Order: sequence, then structure tokens, then C-alpha cells
Amino acid sequence: MVTKNIVCPVCGASCDDIQVELEGQGLTVRNACKMGNAKFQEVVSPHRIKEPLVRVDGDLRRASWDEAIEMTARILANSERPLLFMGSETSTEAMEVGIHMAEFLGGIADSNSTVCHGPTTMGIQEAGRVGATAGQSKSRADLTVYWGSNPLESMPRHMSRYAVYPRGYWTQRGRFDRTVICVDPRRSITAENADLHIQLNPNTDYELLSALLTLLHGKRPHQTAEEVTGVSISEMEKMLDMMKSCSFGAIYVGLGIASSYGKHRNAELAFNLVKELNSHTKFVIGALRGHCNVAGFNQIASYLYGFPFGLDFARGYPRYNPGEYTAVDVLRDRDVDAAFILSADLVSHFPAACSEYLAQIPVACIDIAPCPTTMISDVVLPGVIDAMECDGTFYRLDDVPIYFQPFTSSPFSFTESNVDTMNQIFKRVKRIKGK
Amino acid sequence: MTGVFLLNTGSTIEEGRLAKGGSKLTDDYTRECAVCEMNLADFLAMGSPDRVKVTSRDGHSVVVYAYGAEKLSSGQVFMPRAIWSNVVVDPETFSSGSPLYKGSPVKVEPSNDMVLSAEELTAKLYKLQKRG
Repeated sequence: MVTKNIVCPVCGASCDDIQVELEGQGLTVRNACKMGNAKFQEVVSPHRIKEPLVRVDGDLRRASWDEAIEMTARILANSERPLLFMGSETSTEAMEVGIHMAEFLGGIADSNSTVCHGPTTMGIQEAGRVGATAGQSKSRADLTVYWGSNPLESMPRHMSRYAVYPRGYWTQRGRFDRTVICVDPRRSITAENADLHIQLNPNTDYELLSALLTLLHGKRPHQTAEEVTGVSISEMEKMLDMMKSCSFGAIYVGLGIASSYGKHRNAELAFNLVKELNSHTKFVIGALRGHCNVAGFNQIASYLYGFPFGLDFARGYPRYNPGEYTAVDVLRDRDVDAAFILSADLVSHFPAACSEYLAQIPVACIDIAPCPTTMISDVVLPGVIDAMECDGTFYRLDDVPIYFQPFTSSPFSFTESNVDTMNQIFKRVKRIKGK
Repeated sequence: MTGVFLLNTGSTIEEGRLAKGGSKLTDDYTRECAVCEMNLADFLAMGSPDRVKVTSRDGHSVVVYAYGAEKLSSGQVFMPRAIWSNVVVDPETFSSGSPLYKGSPVKVEPSNDMVLSAEELTAKLYKLQKRG
């Protein structure tokens, strides 16, 4: 039987038009991209983690579910300052339990959203953001700017579903009604397909944004701007003219803004540029979020505790200070004594100094497939795949909540979903703590 | 030629396909991600090495396959986001919580050492020294 309108639990596009047909051990997927299809096949994959594992005498061995839950709870309960890291390809409902557990334990709650668009979120706090839903951009945008992003390789259906190729109400000829600018130091495949590629020098986004703002104010940037950014002033003028003369412009920033030197100040300036462009035409800006629910952590952490990421509960109330209470920093500075990782591979995707420390402290994780993080963990709990095997909520790249329903059920008798697993751990932690 | 380059890390569609498909411990993943893309002229000036050793400012290093392409300007290198590139990403977050995934200065030099798989690299670099 074909099940329609399944939500894809991979990138920030959270595509909700996936069709799947599950027959025995065969799964046919329609409408998904290469990344999406690969993850859907995990439902029937031979390498799926199907049993809990615990470390005994240096080696991971099979364990009962109860034993693994008990060991996870003890790691957390015995820690003076645990890091609870919430991955982004699971539901906000599961993340919420993790944040509450961090509050209960006086630990730190953080997520992929910090190493993804944390700096962009800080930029929003500094400058505010003129935004729009993906549907607005699809219907109206005649200019799309990919700044420091390469959607053809990181969010493969963004151009075809939301931003460039689809026919919108006011963009009925699709790609023919739209112009695309790509700002990237590398001639990426997205840059090759853009109408204008601004190939700036690495780490000079702030300088280029400043020069564009100067031009927007009717002044000429200092000539050294060309040497610093590697972009001629005539090219900057051409780009700005395209931006001012469009009817509806949309900028999608990627990690080229958030991860480069300048960080949140790059983002802040990009938001300010967009605010000022609204004196000339309609312009919006948003982030291309890497995972299907990376925006979700920011949303629930903000409305539950007032801060979007990097929450420290050591004093019993939430504190926020990026660079001090954030996951990379507390691991690099060896400022936590245990870690719990939900659906994320920190050992692969954090700098070496952080991974080295993770290998030295007690770690429990929930995952669906073997990876470097499961290799260094003391407890590995099998993960349930959200949007395929259980229901829940993701927040899409434009912060729109998407409720998803499964097409099959959890393959495990001991847990229905990652929310269920998180609740079981929290209950056990409370019991150990005598509360 | 040996020199300091600016490291750009990011997605490739095959890296995404393999990572999302739970294939991080496979040879395919190593072939796709344990690579360093260089500006073609820089690559030729270095003697077109099969493998290079990339070293970060804080002294971490990793050996990966090298190739030259026309996508980058001189002085820049690109590595797909994966365990190999993140060994040499600068862990400084500039009070933002996010490390320098793009724009970390690294040293790149030809190497005759073997390229390790994700499993081998994890075992070598992150040897378990569990406390408690």
C-alpha cells in the first residue's frame, strides 16, 4: 500500500509530500531526494541498531533494555554537571523531555542548532529579522540570494520546491520569472546554476555586507573593500541594483555566514541590510537549516525557558551565555563530567578537542546506526525513526511547525518512540535521585 | 609547496546520502569524505600529491586524499563535513558556541601515510580513557 504525504526527517526543508510503499523488507520511496531516500531505507537497513549495548570491561556488549536504561540514568544521576545534547532529526516532544531533564539535574541543554545557525539566531537577537514563510517566497520572490549556502548539495529540493523552479501565484513561469544570486568563495554547483556568482574571499562576509550597506546609503565604499573581499565595486553595484529593482527578494543564508569569522556579527549585518532594503522593495531573509527539526530546539527552548540554545541550569534557573554554556565550549574546556546525546554524531562533527574529551567521560546515546559516537559511548540505546515509525512535530526551516505521522510502527517492544525512551530515562533518573 | 590555507568545510550530496543512510563506517564514506579539494594551481605546485596531511593550529592532523579543481581560489582548500575535516576545524567559537567550520587556517603538505577510515580514525584519535 502506498502511503502519501509522509514528512521527510532529514534536512530543514521537512518535505511533506513523500510517498512510500513498504512491502516486507522492500521500501519504495517517491519524491524524496538522494539524502531523504537514503534515510527512509534505514527502516529496512541491515545495519540498524536493534539491541541496547553497554560497555563492559572496555567493550560494548548486548544488554537488556532495563539494564541500558538503568545505566543511562545512573550516568546522568551521578554527574555533577551533565551535558544533554538534543539532536535535530527527532521530534520537539523528545527534545522537550531532554531540556526538562537538564533543568532537573542542574546540567546543560544544547543542540545542533548551536553549531548550525546559533550565530544566525544571535544575529536575530541583535537586529531582528524580516522573514516570510517558504510559501510566501514561492509565490512572490523574483530574486533569490543564496549567501554562504549550497542548497543543491545540502537541501536538494529547496530550489525545486520553495525558491527557484516552482511556479508561484505571482511567479507563474517558475525559473523564468526569477533571478538567482549566489555568494560563495567556492564555485559550488549552486553557484554554477546562479545568474550571478559573487566569489568573495573567505571570512570577508562582514566586509562585503558593509560595502553593500555603504552603497545602499548612496556612498562609495573605500577602495580597499575590493582587495579585502575580492569583489570589485562594480560587481557589488550590479548585485545591489538587482536587489533594489526586484519586486520581492529572499536571502537564504547558510553556514558561510554563521560559521565564518565574524559569526553572529555577519548575521546581524545581513539582517540590517535586509531591513534597509525594505525602504526600496520587499525583502526577506531566512536561514537554510541543516536538519528537519534544528529550528525546533530554538523554538521550544525559547518559549519554555526564554533562550534559544546553550541553556545552563547549574543555578536552578536558566542562564544563557554563548561561548560559555554551549556544547563545543564546555567540551573543549572540559567543563562537564558526563554527556547524553540524542540522535547526533558529535564525535564526527565536533572539533577534535571536544571529541577527545567525550572519549574520556561517561556517555550515553540514542542512535539508529553505528557511527563514531556510538563507538565511544558507554550505553547505546536503539533509536526510533521519527516521521517513519512514530508521530510528533518538526519545525521547518521557516519556523513553521509540521506535525508528522508514521507509515509503520516502532520495531521495538521496549519503546514506541524517542519521546517514550526519554520519558523512561527521566523517570528512572528521578527514582535514583529519590524524587 | 607547503603552506597555510584557509579550510572551507561543507556538504556534498554524496556525503549527505551516505551519512543519512547510516554508512559512516563504510569504504564509500571514506572515499567520499576523506578528501581535500585544492585549487588546481596550488595542487600542481605541491607536486600533485595523492595524499596530504592537513594540520590545524592546535596541532591536530589528519591524512586525506588530495585533488585539484577549478572551484576554489588559490590559498583555499575544501573538505566535506565529516570526521576527517572536523579533526582540523578550529574549536574556538568566538563566544558564539559554533566553531570555525569555515575559514580555519590549516597547514597542508604532501604525505605518504595511509588514509584511515572513520572507524580507524576514531580508534586512533579518540582512544577510550573512561573515568568513573
